[in-house]
Amino acid sequence: MEEFHPHNDEMIFNADEAHNIVKECIESILGKADYSHDKVNQWTATIVEQSLTHLVKLGKTYKYIVTCAVMQKSGAGLHTASSCFWDTTTDGTCTVRWENRTMNCIVNVFAVAIIL
Amino acid sequence: MGELGLEAAAENTYSLRPAGQRKFRSSAVKECIHAILKEELANVQYSPEETPQLTKQLSETIKDRLKEKGFDRYKMVVQVVIGEQRGEGVNMAARCFWDADTDSYAHDVFMNDTLFCVVAAFGCFYY
Repeated sequence: MEEFHPHNDEMIFNADEAHNIVKECIESILGKADYSHDKVNQWTATIVEQSLTHLVKLGKTYKYIVTCAVMQKSGAGLHTASSCFWDTTTDGTCTVRWENRTMNCIVNVFAVAIIL
Repeated sequence: MGELGLEAAAENTYSLRPAGQRKFRSSAVKECIHAILKEELANVQYSPEETPQLTKQLSETIKDRLKEKGFDRYKMVVQVVIGEQRGEGVNMAARCFWDADTDSYAHDVFMNDTLFCVVAAFGCFYY
């Protein structure tokens, strides 16, 4: 079998593009907000949903997984790592870190190609 | 990050469903994650020096263990988050755009006195 080379835009995941999309979403939602126990649930849900909507609108042949973690700043440590079993020629990931005075936010996007 | 090993495995089959028993079943995956977390974190204390390495190692271990389960034509994503337990608020969310008939996810949470650990594993079927 010949080696596969993606040949059009629809089949290439652009991590920079995704990064910008996610960053804008986070900023529009968390912007100047301060950590609030009552609202954080709503925030994380909105961030992942809005990012996903924008990613899907790019019209690429991908399945997407978007995760978001928001943590209140208290000097406590937070570490995240991911391992993927997939095709590195087509699939891709992008991580966005964001913070303000009261909270840290980490969003991960995983794009998994549908067409091989 | 692993690449799909065999070249033959990367060819389209055009089958729309995984073979019955080899579907990514979240109950089985959750059990697997739960066992690994219990094993690896039972007596671990949070340490800013060692936890980054531990987090990476844990995600690799879980990914490898899931690979051994022999799910049929699944790409897998494993995410591990470990945080220090200091009474701070943390909230996590995930949304997926995928084929709900074939694709699935599992998650598990582990806590002890000094740390908390959240693992989410996602399985995406490729046709």
